Amino acid sequence: MVEFLQFLVPGILIGGVYALLASGLGLIFGVMRVVNFAQADFMMLAMYLSWALFAGGVGLDPFLAVPAVFVLFLVLGMAVHWLFIRFVIGKRENHDAQVILTIGLGLIFQNLILIRYSSEPRVVAPSYANAGDFIGDIFISRVRLYAFLLSVLVAALLFLFLNRSRTGRAIRAASENWEAATYMGIDIDRTNRIAFGVGVALTAVGGSALVTFQSITPFVGFRFVVVMFAAVVLGGLGSVSGAFVGGVLIGIIQSVSQVWTSAAVKNVWVFALFLLILYVRPNGLFGKVQRAI
Amino acid sequence: MLEIADICAGYGGVPALRSIDFAVGQQEHVAILGPNGAGKTTLLKTISGTVEADSGSILFDGQDLLSQAPHRRVETGIVHVPQGRMIFASMTVSDNLRLGSHRRGARDRHDERRELVLEIFPALADMLGRDGGALSGGQQQMLAVARGVMACPRLLMLDEPSMGLAPRAADDIFEGIARLLKSETTAMIVVEQRAHEALEICDRAYVLESGEVALEATNRELLNDERLAAAYLGSEL
Ligand SMILES: Nc1ncnc2c1ncn2[C@@H]1O[C@H](COP(=O)(O)OP(=O)(O)OP(=O)(O)O)[C@@H](O)[C@H]1O
Ligand SMILES: [Mg+2]
Repeated sequence: MVEFLQFLVPGILIGGVYALLASGLGLIFGVMRVVNFAQADFMMLAMYLSWALFAGGVGLDPFLAVPAVFVLFLVLGMAVHWLFIRFVIGKRENHDAQVILTIGLGLIFQNLILIRYSSEPRVVAPSYANAGDFIGDIFISRVRLYAFLLSVLVAALLFLFLNRSRTGRAIRAASENWEAATYMGIDIDRTNRIAFGVGVALTAVGGSALVTFQSITPFVGFRFVVVMFAAVVLGGLGSVSGAFVGGVLIGIIQSVSQVWTSAAVKNVWVFALFLLILYVRPNGLFGKVQRAI
Repeated sequence: MLEIADICAGYGGVPALRSIDFAVGQQEHVAILGPNGAGKTTLLKTISGTVEADSGSILFDGQDLLSQAPHRRVETGIVHVPQGRMIFASMTVSDNLRLGSHRRGARDRHDERRELVLEIFPALADMLGRDGGALSGGQQQMLAVARGVMACPRLLMLDEPSMGLAPRAADDIFEGIARLLKSETTAMIVVEQRAHEALEICDRAYVLESGEVALEATNRELLNDERLAAAYLGSEL
């Protein structure tokens, strides 16, 4: 039992970060039906930014840098939407263009970083990087706890934004029925731009939460892209709360499976669960036919 | 107030409107009648901007509408209650109403407008916390009209507000609209299959057929002229 808990607790902690990473992808898909293959590379860029702020003389703690990362990536995401994404939204014949555009953006981000910083792994190690506390027999890593708490906080803020703010309501309305939303006087291009910016910023903050225990390379996105997509599909495509639950679930499975099998095959368990859930509920855990975010 | 001249529009090269002339005066109530596929919905969408006109002009208070984005047109007071209701099913009735007052000109009047729409459709008062999707068809239609009224329309466009409703539920809708028109001086366009009910609340009617205006007449002319009624309104009257 203790052994089980020793794996369960870290699983929940990392699952919270997966949830945050996935929520950005889920928000973007839910609102504008764009599968953003560059999402994990925005995360990678955010990790490099956190590293640069920490290691590059400023010495800024990665957790304290989060508000700045959020704002910068909100603006970056909105700019990318305005420059590129808005031209490939909507019509069915745009789907190929969306895939090529977002994969292309991801490749450009990876290679720009590769040119600038090489492929040498970077680490962000604040003074408390290896600190932790025992609760009973269970060790809880300080940085992973902070990462989890940050994810929960951001999730709560996202919930408030979508449910309580005017813009959040407009985004939900546009994602459910863009035509009806237009008749309410909602500017769909604007809600898409904001949702894209927020979606990118959420994943970016997830990246900042990771840097204290995940080394950074230009290709670190590949380590997380599968988890992000699996979480979004598990939760039900386009459901932000579903993406959250999916993320936590994947974190738990990855971790708890190590009670029985080695860490090398943890993702086999994830896919087994993935197939099982989709077999029982083809629309994901929270999927409905007519959906909102 | 609304002047439409020589409008042509269509879908992927197939014309749905052929040279439509159409007008609504200040505070006038106009019915659009006609068979399925005549182009009634397309005409409303061309006014609100979700269908682009191929040629022609639309003026609202003398201002060109066609050059404005759809959401800008709502800001001028043109409010479209679409066919098939299109309420936000996953959101509460309250949130649906709040979205009705999204536009700048209606934002500050939310509370006052909500009182008004709950007077017009008292049945909604008990449903405020429910999801739109959990309402009956009649209640959803009430919500769709109410959401439009929240936007403080200067020109309210209702597309088949009684579609798919049992006669009793349809009556509730028409009674609600009649109550609204007692307290509001808005102009209105009503597309309807139930011609009789529509003419009761309208001053004038257009009959559309195959994308053209087949007839334009006052409701008195239509209701009193059996030959016209039989030719254009079929067995409805
Ligand atoms: N989205 C669309 N794509 C292609 N053609 C369309 C579309 N919507 C309508 N049409 C066609 O345009 C024509 C006019 O349709 P419209 O919906 O305006 O008619 P309507 O008078 O509103 O009919 P109804 O009483 O059935 O609502 C019809 O021939 C219809 O098939
Ligand atoms: Mg129609």
